[in-house]
Amino acid sequence: MTTKSKQSHQTHSQDIQDVLYAKREKIYPREVHGVFANLRVLGVITLLGLYYIVPWLTWDGRQAVLFDLPERKFYILNLVFWPQDFFYLALLLVIAALSLFFFTALAGRLWCGYACPQTVWTEVFLWIERKVEGDRPKQMKLDKAPWRWHKFRIKATKHAIWIVFSVYTGFTFVGFFTPIRELAMQFYTWELSPWESFWIFFYGFATYGNAGWMREQVCIYMCPYARFQSAMFDNNTLIISYDEKRGDPKGSRKKNTDHRAQGLGDCIDCTMCVQVCPTGIDIREGLQYQCIGCAACIDVCDDVMDKMNYPKGLIRYTTQNALMGQAVRVIRPRVILYAILLCGLFASLVYSISQRIPLELDIIRDRRALYQENDQGLIENVYTLKIINMDQQDHNYQLSVSGLPSLSIVNQAQSQNIHIKAGSVLSLPLRLSVDPIDIKKPSNTIYFKVMAKDNPALVQQEDNRFLGPRN
Amino acid sequence: MAIPKIQRVISIFWPSFLTASAATIVFFTVFDPHDLMALLDVPPISRLGVYTIGFFCFWALTAISCIMTCYFQRPCSEVNTTCHDYQI
Repeated sequence: MTTKSKQSHQTHSQDIQDVLYAKREKIYPREVHGVFANLRVLGVITLLGLYYIVPWLTWDGRQAVLFDLPERKFYILNLVFWPQDFFYLALLLVIAALSLFFFTALAGRLWCGYACPQTVWTEVFLWIERKVEGDRPKQMKLDKAPWRWHKFRIKATKHAIWIVFSVYTGFTFVGFFTPIRELAMQFYTWELSPWESFWIFFYGFATYGNAGWMREQVCIYMCPYARFQSAMFDNNTLIISYDEKRGDPKGSRKKNTDHRAQGLGDCIDCTMCVQVCPTGIDIREGLQYQCIGCAACIDVCDDVMDKMNYPKGLIRYTTQNALMGQAVRVIRPRVILYAILLCGLFASLVYSISQRIPLELDIIRDRRALYQENDQGLIENVYTLKIINMDQQDHNYQLSVSGLPSLSIVNQAQSQNIHIKAGSVLSLPLRLSVDPIDIKKPSNTIYFKVMAKDNPALVQQEDNRFLGPRN
Repeated sequence: MAIPKIQRVISIFWPSFLTASAATIVFFTVFDPHDLMALLDVPPISRLGVYTIGFFCFWALTAISCIMTCYFQRPCSEVNTTCHDYQI
């Protein structure tokens, strides 16, 4: 390698190294009080309250909400869902996606600012950090200070509290998937199964990492929603904006002086809006995808405006149209369409769950033989029926078949009183016979019907093929 | 190349995590670990264990495809620079 090219290569890779290893500037969001901060605290308390309390609630002697993965059953209050009910989950996800579209079109990133787990847990971690390390200036001073016993003690305390909180969060998470009371006993006696302990620490570690260390980077680099939000915004969407017309030109001034005469706008350039921002952006530069819509800048700017005796709302929830001085239409076709779709889907989810029959029938044809002729000259086909009693009580079922004139069940007695325990699956081998004169085609559609003897509403019908010789 | 390292690491492990989670949910909704174990004739472990192993297998696969995407994203000019270095 020539010296020159070697040098240029080194400089080139040095540049890349600098970029790749560019150190992230730590963000120290300043504490903020106000209407939106209170709303967020309310969101945090409600959501985390639900998260930590719900797994401990009981219903009918069992955990009220339990996504029992080991048993492959989801319990939600009085409902029990099976893997066969995957449709409801899919419908629920579609509803969730549509709600996101609806709220985003209406008022921007409400989800991010008030309800996203990342925001909610980060808020708690920030609160712990403030309690241990002090406010923003104290935190910055501490980070700049050399490593002494004092600093070590404070940092160790913070991390210890964070870790305990994270492990408890992980424990609660696993408690949604395996019975939490048993889990607690096992945790207490240190007899957890390796898989459960793994997930407790995995989720705990993710909480600690995301809410303690990654914070705004999760929103900036990991969140897909942040990237496509602009597709859901239009000029009538409520977004957090700085009123440039009113605020510019920015500049510091003495209180109670006529800033207009000095050629200044309402923005005193105190940078408080930047200091409170959890993602470290300057809202005055316009809408940016890093903005999670937490409205901390609104709260703090309103405080400043009050102190200056200026009207509030230099930074506020407003629409692009309002800022441009045009008419605002919050209720518009797009929002109405989302709302109609949302209501329709939600109604159909509720309806289909209320009409759901807790009985499942699967039929598998025996693949070894197409058909066989028995000693009475009848054509026989063999099936295996899988009957699932998804109800929470035992039932006796009876089976009937139809579709061909002389179709009958060979093991008739067995099929008239099928006892299946609550939440159990029964595999029933079944032999059907038909007189060959009734078989006109090599393949015929036949119907299986299973009905509970004590409740005719518990009925399921499935079709399958009956194969015979070519006549 | 102006991509912070953290973004690079995340762009490998995060999308793969998401797709692996989705794949795990769909796969194990359709297939019961007990049936799978009977079919494959492997020593029995708990369902939670099979879910865990399944998830990490999916994650490994999806992470590999993310790594390859990142690898092939290298601009041609940069690949050429490296080639020139080896020629001399």
